[in-house]
Amino acid sequence: MSMMAVAEQTETEPVVEKKSPGKALWLLAPGVIWMSLFLVLPMLMMVYVSFWTQTTFTIEPTLTLKSWVTFFTSDTYLGALWTTVRIWLIVLVATVLVGYPAALFVGLFVKNKALQTVLLVLCVIPFWTSFLIRVLAWRPMLGKEGAINMILMNFGITDAPIEVLLFSELSVIIGMTQIYCVFMVGPIAFMLGRIDTSIIEAAQDLGAGFWRIFRTIILPLSMPGVVVGAIFVSVMVLGEFATSAALSGRKVNLLGNIIVTQVGSLKWAFAAVAGVVLTILMGAVVAALLRVVDLRKEL
Amino acid sequence: MNASGIKTGLGAYTALFLVFLYGPLVVLAILSFQTGPEGGPQFPIIEWSTYWYKHLFGLTPPSRIAPLPIEQALVRSLGLAVMTMIVSTVLGVTAAQAFRRKFRGSGVVFYLIVLGMMVPGVLVGLGMALVANTLGIDRHWWSTAFVLHVVYTFPFAFLVMLAIFNRFDPSMEEASWSLGVTPARTFRKVTFPLIFPGVLSAMLFAFTLSYDEFSRTLFASGRDLTLPLAIYGTFSVEVHPNVFAFGVLTTLFSFALLGTYAALMMLSVRRAKRIAIQEEA
Repeated sequence: MSMMAVAEQTETEPVVEKKSPGKALWLLAPGVIWMSLFLVLPMLMMVYVSFWTQTTFTIEPTLTLKSWVTFFTSDTYLGALWTTVRIWLIVLVATVLVGYPAALFVGLFVKNKALQTVLLVLCVIPFWTSFLIRVLAWRPMLGKEGAINMILMNFGITDAPIEVLLFSELSVIIGMTQIYCVFMVGPIAFMLGRIDTSIIEAAQDLGAGFWRIFRTIILPLSMPGVVVGAIFVSVMVLGEFATSAALSGRKVNLLGNIIVTQVGSLKWAFAAVAGVVLTILMGAVVAALLRVVDLRKEL
Repeated sequence: MNASGIKTGLGAYTALFLVFLYGPLVVLAILSFQTGPEGGPQFPIIEWSTYWYKHLFGLTPPSRIAPLPIEQALVRSLGLAVMTMIVSTVLGVTAAQAFRRKFRGSGVVFYLIVLGMMVPGVLVGLGMALVANTLGIDRHWWSTAFVLHVVYTFPFAFLVMLAIFNRFDPSMEEASWSLGVTPARTFRKVTFPLIFPGVLSAMLFAFTLSYDEFSRTLFASGRDLTLPLAIYGTFSVEVHPNVFAFGVLTTLFSFALLGTYAALMMLSVRRAKRIAIQEEA
């Protein structure tokens, strides 16, 4: 959200300088060329290659729809698409449910600025550990002889270890929720911190209970934060393949996993089709989220 | 409103939330001190030892568990991170400098740059591999993977520098110019020292993001592994506590990096203060 705010500021408050207009062009050229060559070109190439002809080990630039037809008639690929959408939705809801109360506490209930900063920093510190290590850390937690099963059995809550905890869809969802929920907490806490507390006090004075205040004031005012968080989480979850590779024992295949395996077996055209489908899905999700809340107006 | 009850409840929840965030890492750190080589990656701890740390550095007698290929990978990862840091910081500073003036098409350019941090690594990595294939270029960590790392980190550097330039007082530069100092010298002597804290943050971002990046590297680098790829390689096989020991060490390394950053930042702030006092006197 800060980046949109920055964009708006640079557009509306230009810093006047006495420099020739050609200079800006020279300053911009390296970055723009870099992004065009190494970001836009590869993405266009992916779209182009998805129409190439796939032979056993190579691809030929003869245009065909065959890979697309294969994708949309294969149960494996359609299944992966459905799994991706399902896991994305579950993780999105889970990150909101898990993250919102924490954000509510940090953003609205903690009045002390120093404590607020400490809590937010505590949320960010795990990012200083390698992403892959954080994913892997769930294995000794969730495994059959893992920490959670051990605790449950020691306290006599369960008699036998719960095996569904690891190498299942559940473990992927738990792992992703833990890794990505901070991206939800940050934006929501930011929006909640901006709420004018006198509005809440006024509502209290008029006799409104907490739930009423939450429903009519806090929740609507925090929605832009939820949407920004949802965009972060969506983009990252949809592009995932490592968490499912590490925690599902190959039971969960996301579109990202399909791309990795197809590239591994040199099926470039199929990988490109999966990539284009993923791009379209992601674009649609982000566009839909941006329609829910007009960020430019809200921030 | 029973605010205090709700506050206590939410506070307790937040504590649980932090346990959720840190729990796995704590468990991982504890298990890294499992005895080896017979101790597995699970409780109970048979005996506390630093076996797996020694194993990581090749200080243990050979066993059935292959050592992690980290030596070469570490050099590559650090090299790649430094290269990425330098290039993306330079690109970020120059692009943000251009954005200080309003120009036509600034919106498009802004989104083009920010797209670099939004597009998932799996997509841009695949695209890059396809481009390299078509052009017949070999993929290496220092070529195709490197340019993708910059695509990813340059937007972060750019946004940091934009924020810095937004709070920047241009009258300092104008004073320098009106005294007849060349723009290049002005940038070196006036602008750069003022934006240095921002540059430092941009460098930190670029370095750590590149050091940890792996989905882009997976597709765009050839056979040579970087550190994250070495860890990714262990996903498909049985995990041993040596990976946990490695996780503890990289985390410590990251903290050291963060500490260096904080120290440099404090030095630059103190220096700025000292200069300000001297000027007043």
